[in-house]
Amino acid sequence: MKINEKLTQFIKLLKKEKVQAFCVLDNASIMYLTDFFFYSPNDAFLLITQNKVYCFTKKMYFADLKRKVPYLTLLESLDINDVCKKAAKFKNKFFDSTLAPYIEGTALVKAGFKTLPYLLEKAQEVKAENELKLISKACHISTKAFGIFKKQLKAGMTEKQGAALLENIMQELGGQGLAFETILAFGANSANPHHHNSDRKLKQNEPVLVDFGCKYKGYCSDITRTWWFGNKVNKEWQKLFDLVKDTHDYAATLAQDNIRATTLDSAARDFMDKAGVSSKDFIHSLGHGLGLKIHQKPFLSPKSQDIIKINSVFTIEPGLYYDGKFGIRYEDTYVLTPKGAKILTK
Amino acid sequence: MRINAAKLKNLRNLLKKNNFEGLIISDYTDTKYFLGDFFHEDESILLITLKHIIVFSRSLYENSFKRKYKEALFVSEDKNRPQALVKKAQELKLKKLAFDENKELYSAGKLYLEAGFKETSSLISYLRTTKTEEELKLMRKATKISMQAYKNIRKYVKVGITEIELKRKLEDEMVFLGAGGFSFELMVSFGANTANPHHVCDNTKLTKNTAILFDWGAKYQEYCADMTRCFWFGPNVPQEYKKILSLVKYAHDKVIAEAKCKMTGAQIDKISRGLIEQAGYGKYFTHRTGHGIGMQDHELADISHLNNEPILENYCFSVEPGIYLEGKYGVRWEDCFYMTKKGIKQIK
Repeated sequence: MKINEKLTQFIKLLKKEKVQAFCVLDNASIMYLTDFFFYSPNDAFLLITQNKVYCFTKKMYFADLKRKVPYLTLLESLDINDVCKKAAKFKNKFFDSTLAPYIEGTALVKAGFKTLPYLLEKAQEVKAENELKLISKACHISTKAFGIFKKQLKAGMTEKQGAALLENIMQELGGQGLAFETILAFGANSANPHHHNSDRKLKQNEPVLVDFGCKYKGYCSDITRTWWFGNKVNKEWQKLFDLVKDTHDYAATLAQDNIRATTLDSAARDFMDKAGVSSKDFIHSLGHGLGLKIHQKPFLSPKSQDIIKINSVFTIEPGLYYDGKFGIRYEDTYVLTPKGAKILTK
Repeated sequence: MRINAAKLKNLRNLLKKNNFEGLIISDYTDTKYFLGDFFHEDESILLITLKHIIVFSRSLYENSFKRKYKEALFVSEDKNRPQALVKKAQELKLKKLAFDENKELYSAGKLYLEAGFKETSSLISYLRTTKTEEELKLMRKATKISMQAYKNIRKYVKVGITEIELKRKLEDEMVFLGAGGFSFELMVSFGANTANPHHVCDNTKLTKNTAILFDWGAKYQEYCADMTRCFWFGPNVPQEYKKILSLVKYAHDKVIAEAKCKMTGAQIDKISRGLIEQAGYGKYFTHRTGHGIGMQDHELADISHLNNEPILENYCFSVEPGIYLEGKYGVRWEDCFYMTKKGIKQIK
């Protein structure tokens, strides 16, 4: 029975850390390790040992699991105490305290499990080949959808209608759900980086900001585009837009293997300050990693301790926001290759 | 905007009853229950005490939050929100705070426990189980949108269409009719795929004389609908398909006729399961009769043999008996209901 690449890697990592048994409770990690989609978040637990992977789940998944993930040893239970019993003979056993619910975590600790945070996150940071393919596909769908959407967006449409339009185009092109709720902001609404779409209608000659992404087989894409709707482009807006775009391009050229995330973040801020525009109005971090989750390591923020490695996938998204006036953000998804950051949303 | 007064009052009564000064709310849906659609996931913690409403979230929200909710305090924190909460609680001399052991992460829960707070189980889930009239209204609307969309897309059910294509038609139609999203990943299955109760749509094409099953639901202003319909596509209906379909429909209707207020989830489950067992299909009914529903597609008010709690007035839940014959076909029939003093009533 062939175990998939990601699980093989993870078991290797466990061996390296001298872990005999590792319990996984959250849906995203389980999906990551098995490539199997569980319907609701509390439908399965995994207990990974050096030579067996136990899956505690509901009976109704058995037939499908046997077909799709034959190397799992299936057990019908969702009682954490059964996991503890199965792991009783192991001494070095762990779980991730930042991913386990309190109640199950408490039961595991009582049974002798220790906490080992961020191990799964660490495993997910560097992507396997087939993961990169799926992320590229998600990015490709989103980028293509944007081209069509931009032509179809008309004055008079509301933010909500526009967002539904874009989401439908992504679905038509093969997207499988959204990476996150689409943000479509017109005019001064663009000054709020996490605006919730409203019934405000699009007018001629105002800025539009759209932050969106679809999923493909569980994997996310993430893009932001800002443009001026109409011919009479505000000069101040254009100047700031050019700076944001230049900052984005500049930061991308700096990415290389083993660079600190904070180095990129502060370089982007310096770039703005040197151009004479205060980076105080760049009110969020430069970017974030993504994969099965839309936000994961590496975090490109001022306080991050992450280091960017070959085959990690992340966004670069500088922005400038002026409350009551407008906001600008420019974002693409990248993968780090030995030759530097390669853009995926193109 | 004001936070719904009835919901706040109910929570504070519950806090007093349990001798707590406040509750830490970090679950995404639970925060939405009070604040509506404002934050994104994993971005905020809400602390509701007998006197205060305090939100801990990212600094970039500070201005817009203060503009929208004048009655709440905002604490800017970009890194460690549980730690900021502990600090604030100490400032305000709040000791008897509770956190939800089912929804808190182990790392945060441990920090709270060290600060002297106590774990509690599912206070908000419990509040959310009893629906207000306003919530029922939104669920009816979500159900109407779902049903209308289903009727409108029946014309696309033709030989050659794939599961994914048909699912998209259904999604588009629901959005067109006003849905704000979907209750879950919709299911459209053809043929033997219908025998898998949690099939994920693929490129299977519809052929003549096969089983079809739709399990779908629209979201309307955060509230979910959930329903399942199935039928045989083509004239040559197998006798056994006919038999099991009428059996699940009958089991579904039997629950409507016999479920009473204050019966336990297990007792209601037995109504449909007993019938299907008698007919000899017990072991093919591989899931519970139903689940609670509201802002999430699965909430408390389980209709299963494991739930020995009574189902009370204004609890909402699905009734969805099913029979699955691996490799052949499966059937399920589902609607959502709420409990009244006089028995259950369909949300429609």
